[in-house]
Amino acid sequence: MEKLSPQQMATLHNHLIHSGSNDALVDELLDHIACEVEYYIYLGLPFEKALSTVLEQADIKAVRHLRDTYQTDMAMTDEQLQQASLDDIVFEFRNKAYGAYDLRQAYRTTLRNAFIMAIGLFMMLMAMMDGISRRSWSYTSLAGVVWLIGLSGVTFAVYSWYMQRMRQQQLSLR
Amino acid sequence: MEPSGNEFLRGTLKTIVLKLLSEQGTSVPNRMYGYEITQAVKERTKGEIVLSFGALYPILHKLEQEGLLTTETEEVEGRLRKYYSLTPQGTETAVQKVTDFERFMDTMRGLLQLPATLATGH
Repeated sequence: MEKLSPQQMATLHNHLIHSGSNDALVDELLDHIACEVEYYIYLGLPFEKALSTVLEQADIKAVRHLRDTYQTDMAMTDEQLQQASLDDIVFEFRNKAYGAYDLRQAYRTTLRNAFIMAIGLFMMLMAMMDGISRRSWSYTSLAGVVWLIGLSGVTFAVYSWYMQRMRQQQLSLR
Repeated sequence: MEPSGNEFLRGTLKTIVLKLLSEQGTSVPNRMYGYEITQAVKERTKGEIVLSFGALYPILHKLEQEGLLTTETEEVEGRLRKYYSLTPQGTETAVQKVTDFERFMDTMRGLLQLPATLATGH
């Protein structure tokens, strides 16, 4: 059976997006209607005719209806809603793999790390300037303690950021 | 099929999908994608039952959510295709549903034939 060209696929994809398909379904629907179009072409219709035949069935009403049924059927249960975060609710039925969901999920940790790192670096800088101006260095002086606190803060932030990266990579590998 | 046929179909869609997936196909475990399922149903019922995508996909995703189906997405000829297959729990449920439905059909047949037997009794 003859396969559709990327351009023809793009036409179908556009149609689905304009009909208001949701992210959770669009790839699957695309494959579905592409199979139908290919079947009609196999039967001998030209692409345009096959397309319009299929789109007659997959018109805005049908696609919207599917989306609405889907959202009622697949909605979170009350129990899940109790535990869901605002992000979970906003991103329900939306494309989580796109990236925005991950960014939002990691936002608190990222902010905390950045905060600790900024303060740590600032403390280290202050301690260093103090040491340079005095031309002497001792870990037991105030500057020395500030330096050590700053250094441990930065180390913690870097380590935490690294662990988060590793976890994300493992998740995306799955 | 008539609109009333759709009404009957709605309650049995899950059973149909589970049954189709529980049959031994070319691959083990049997896996199918959405369009393939609609075609299989169409073929077997000789065009009497045509599943619309609007009816099929909510059911598939629902079954997946309930843990009866697993999915794998694969690129086939440049397109993403999502295959569904039964989980062990799904296999059990498929057997259960089919037996339940057969029993139900027997009962219904009995119910529909009742007036006829009464009529012959006179």
